Amino acid sequence: MTLTDRQQLSYIASQAADARLNVELETEGMTLNIGPQHPATHGTLRIICRLDGEQVVWAEPVAGYMHRGYEKLTEVRTFPQVTSLVNRIDWLGSFANEVPFILAAEKLMEIEAPPRAQVIRTILFELSRIANVSLFLGDLGVQMGAITPVFLAFRDREYILNLIEGATGGRFHPNFDRIGGLKDDLPKGWIAETRGAVKKLEEFCDTIDDLLFGNEIFQSRMRGIGIIPADIAKDYGLSGANARASGIDWDLRRDQDLPLSYDLADWKVWTHPDGDSWARCWIRLQETRESCKIVAQLLDQIPAGPVMTKVPRIIKVPEGEAWVATENPLGEMGYYVVSKGGLGPFRVKIRSASFNNISIVPWALKGVYVPDVITILASLYFILGDIDR
Amino acid sequence: MAPLSDDTSTETEAPAALPGDGLREGIIDNLRSHIGDAIVDTKITPNDDLWIRVTTEGWLAAGQALKDAGFTYFCFLSAIDWMPSPYGTGENDPDAEQKEPDTEIVQGYTGGETRMQVFARVSDLSRHVGVTLKADVPDDRSVMESWSRLYAGANWHERECHEMFGIGFDNHPDLRNMYLPGDFEGYPLRKDFPLLARMVKPWPGIVDVEPMPAQDEEEAPAEEKAAES
Amino acid sequence: MGLVDKGRLPAPLTKLFNMSRSYSLWVYQWGLACCAIEMGAAFGSPRYDVMRLGVIPLPASPRQADFVCVSGTVTDKMAPAVKRLWEQMPEPKYAISMGSCANCGGPYWDSYSVTKGVDQIIPIDVYVPGCPPRPEALLEGIVLLQQRIKNEDMAAKWRGDEFTTLQRTRAVDAGEVDRDGELISATHSVSEDPTPDEAQTKPVYPPQPIIVGGGPIE
Repeated sequence: MTLTDRQQLSYIASQAADARLNVELETEGMTLNIGPQHPATHGTLRIICRLDGEQVVWAEPVAGYMHRGYEKLTEVRTFPQVTSLVNRIDWLGSFANEVPFILAAEKLMEIEAPPRAQVIRTILFELSRIANVSLFLGDLGVQMGAITPVFLAFRDREYILNLIEGATGGRFHPNFDRIGGLKDDLPKGWIAETRGAVKKLEEFCDTIDDLLFGNEIFQSRMRGIGIIPADIAKDYGLSGANARASGIDWDLRRDQDLPLSYDLADWKVWTHPDGDSWARCWIRLQETRESCKIVAQLLDQIPAGPVMTKVPRIIKVPEGEAWVATENPLGEMGYYVVSKGGLGPFRVKIRSASFNNISIVPWALKGVYVPDVITILASLYFILGDIDR
Repeated sequence: MAPLSDDTSTETEAPAALPGDGLREGIIDNLRSHIGDAIVDTKITPNDDLWIRVTTEGWLAAGQALKDAGFTYFCFLSAIDWMPSPYGTGENDPDAEQKEPDTEIVQGYTGGETRMQVFARVSDLSRHVGVTLKADVPDDRSVMESWSRLYAGANWHERECHEMFGIGFDNHPDLRNMYLPGDFEGYPLRKDFPLLARMVKPWPGIVDVEPMPAQDEEEAPAEEKAAES
Repeated sequence: MGLVDKGRLPAPLTKLFNMSRSYSLWVYQWGLACCAIEMGAAFGSPRYDVMRLGVIPLPASPRQADFVCVSGTVTDKMAPAVKRLWEQMPEPKYAISMGSCANCGGPYWDSYSVTKGVDQIIPIDVYVPGCPPRPEALLEGIVLLQQRIKNEDMAAKWRGDEFTTLQRTRAVDAGEVDRDGELISATHSVSEDPTPDEAQTKPVYPPQPIIVGGGPIE
């Protein structure tokens, strides 16, 4: 009886398998592909993991599924058009994306926004930080199977989105910042409503603290996992809460001299010495509370005055180069704007926080178990638009 | 460039911020003592920012010297293509007569001699100061030394720079595409890479000269004066 | 379902089946970018609850989904995945394109890496414009999709026809329109370029995709 090729091959394979078993119990590595469409990857990030049993031997993120070519597009747009485009990089805290770009353009033009505009910019910046991080806090539970916080987060975010919509006209993507100030003044009753919303967000933080951070399961899945030491963090350019969780005492709101009004409020910078996933999440929670405090204090200190300096209708930014980075919800976001005196920039380099934050993933995921892959990614917190631009 | 605000005090969180910006001048002197004549040009905006241009050969040595001097935080690394785009910037009405596009290559701060330059930014978190380092990329052989063994974060940035500009990096462990699919042809961020959708359907001009609907008549002449000044 | 594919489903049963289908939709969220957050707010938040329309989010896999809501920018790198997802879904399936990026490329219309509209890859039933569309706009898109399903001829859908409305089938049966959509007789007055007012009274062949908040495509 002749065997087909296939039968022959399977016979040889089974003999080989038997032989292997007799010699030693050998396992084969498996390649696990997480994403690009996966509820836990905050978007279209693909992680290719090579596993030995349950442990990751080698992991690599593949980005680029949301690459929209921002830096090329900015070269063919005017400054106001770039502002509206740039909103969509970090799409959860969207006002925060406009601010460093506008500040860089104002630096080149050597103008400053009036004090009222600076304070309102800071308030909106902090509101977008609260909106961004509150969704992070909600999503955190989903990574581990706790579904309730997401609904709480969406419900409480609606207060912030209503505020931003009331002031700017857009729930997301406000496109409110202009070179020289803001588009419009605040509507009547906005300040009182913001005070109320901020109180509700503080209650939300306390709820998440109770539900999640005090939870035994959460703690055992996050404490001691994904420890990133401070010098490695600096080497990779980790910024924001990721850096502060590794003990690096650095916050661009405090350590820089930008025309934003952080010095009018009394607030503190949170750091944690551990550098594990729990520390990163905890720092974000504390920062949200701190942002609520900043907003509440700044609301009492908005000076009267115009919200826009006198700028020509058609803005041509003079030649030069400027770098402005701010402490965005995700980390340090900066724009290196090269202008040649035209209506639009010549080159804009967008330094996005998540790009550096995720470049540490191959290092951070070595030797880690598969469920911890998800929690480490969750704690590093990225937005795909920020990685891929 | 004048500082932004009228406030002439130099009080910041960082120590040793002397008037005249001794901090940044000290950084340049320190660097010069390590790599000497690899520094080609510098630019300081007082109490604000610092740009240093080094030679192509001194790119890695400059990075090493900066890291030893305390600049341990890696911010970013990228490149600039200084050639003006032959396709224009879409600002003008495509039906109107186009004037000759500008083809002169003019580099920015700290000058340069080549079409493309790499630039990187590193920061010293304890002194709250950052440096933008620039270097020319030779036109005939666009390869630079890789910083990936120096700053681990430079790995991904150099991959992106390579796929966007076509600049090679020696000693980079894994120089493949970061964002673009494997079969993508061309280097998108080079100025001679056209945006095909704009070729097919050009943007109908940018400047909107109609007055805003709620604009008062009295304000319009004042704005015109501001535009003329 | 021999009645369906032979086209001999009685009208009351058609109505019943269409109604039940439209009120028990399982939607697969293909959330890519910013619109995914608004889609999440529409589907997951208690304020713009989508379950009250009978639509349930979060199926376990695309094979259990009735329709897919593509929200966000589709890049050329992601396009094969979208195509594969569409092919995995079993018939009858529908698609909603949410947001300007999925409709036509949106603010990135001139980018080198963005697919100018997901309808280049999969056929779309409802376009929801906006950047991002409010959750209420997405809900209106879903309601319009439900109206389309209620108005659907299941036999035509089974066959895989391009146009599946009941009016079309009736017109074909009455001999006014042939299978390819060419007008045979002029008992229905159909104008060449319907204005938005006329389109309300006169049926237009072939039916245009439904755009939330807008009229027929000009």
